Amino acid sequence: MANVSESVHAHGDGGGDHGAHAHPDFLQHHFDTPVQQFNAAKLGMWVFIATEILMFGGLFCAYAIWRGLDPRVFDDAHHFLNKILGATNTIVLLFSSLTAALAVRSAQVGKRNLTSLYLIVTILCAGVFLVVKYFEYSHKFHLGLLPGHCFGHPGLSAAVQNGEEVGTCLRVHADSAPVMPEWVKAADEDGHVRLLSPRANMFFGLYFVMTGLHGLHVIVGMSILAWVLYKNIKGKFSPAYFTPVDLGALYWHLVDLVWIYLFPLLYLVGKPE
Amino acid sequence: MSAQGSHAVHAHQDDGAVHVHIASSQFYWGIFGALICLTILTVKVSYYDFGKANIFIALLIATMKGSLVAAFFMHLRHDKLFNTIAFLSSFLFLGIFILLTYDDLGNRGRVDNDYGGRFQLETGQAAPGGEPATTATSDSVAEEAPHGAAAAHGKKE
Repeated sequence: MANVSESVHAHGDGGGDHGAHAHPDFLQHHFDTPVQQFNAAKLGMWVFIATEILMFGGLFCAYAIWRGLDPRVFDDAHHFLNKILGATNTIVLLFSSLTAALAVRSAQVGKRNLTSLYLIVTILCAGVFLVVKYFEYSHKFHLGLLPGHCFGHPGLSAAVQNGEEVGTCLRVHADSAPVMPEWVKAADEDGHVRLLSPRANMFFGLYFVMTGLHGLHVIVGMSILAWVLYKNIKGKFSPAYFTPVDLGALYWHLVDLVWIYLFPLLYLVGKPE
Repeated sequence: MSAQGSHAVHAHQDDGAVHVHIASSQFYWGIFGALICLTILTVKVSYYDFGKANIFIALLIATMKGSLVAAFFMHLRHDKLFNTIAFLSSFLFLGIFILLTYDDLGNRGRVDNDYGGRFQLETGQAAPGGEPATTATSDSVAEEAPHGAAAAHGKKE
């Protein structure tokens, strides 16, 4: 009994002269202790990550459904994505995740300059990812794989007739399907000329929306890490308080996590040549 | 004695400061190495055809990579269990979402690979919610002749 009352007393002592319980600058008023604040922040971040997964989940569900309905079309269409560029970007993101984890570690052990260095490398990797993505996107724009260009409603593309060029993709009438005139003929990443069903726009639509939303997260992640970097340079963090570094890195790992699934689902699955 | 022992532990946990597990840099590099190996594996494997298993192999490797990232880079391994539960629950609910959507669509008929839309296997009629795209396109095919005029009209607007 004596023990219990003693520990309760120690709690009540919170804001007093007790060394560990003295209110440091980083401790918000509504938290008793730094560890309580840390755990609350972490839980909040994990709940946020769960909501992010559910947001991407809607798109993954759409992918699963449309792939199930149209496996052949998805198979044809996925050959228009470059595996090597996709794998390069995967490795770039994995490396940036490593440097983000190392940034947190440096913050935990109080190596401020090293934290800054790792954060800078992480942000640079994010930039490399976006540059590679830019080249991938612009190639697909050029081929006319954007929804609405080659894949528009027939009525909207009245000026484009049989065999006339749009970018480098040709519209042809497939003999087997005379009522669906807007088939697209274009060279894929291996140089094979393929005839794409009009419904391939579902694959490219999902590709652009999923990687686009992911790309948006990359940009947001870069901004968050840049803010953390700024605070770090100003000396706001220490082994006693590194929560923003930790949470910023968690966000960045989430970006990596989503890409880990996007890469195989969009670039890899399907029949190899 | 035992009461004193627990008190000592309690006092240590309750000093209010943040105590976290700090892994070594080499450990993080090791995890990174494993992730790179799995990435190379998943790309290599994609050049072989395992039929319907392709997607499961790809997802299995992706899940292994994701688990490594979540457990070690994201510190879940040494974090509060409740954070892991919050994280994993999102996949549970995502699974329910996808399964129910699949179940719904699975009972609406089959996709027509030539014309789009879905039809019912038993009757050959268009399935509810899956009207074939032919109705829309056959109209525009019938209108083939005034296409130029339609385009001009579109420009005016």
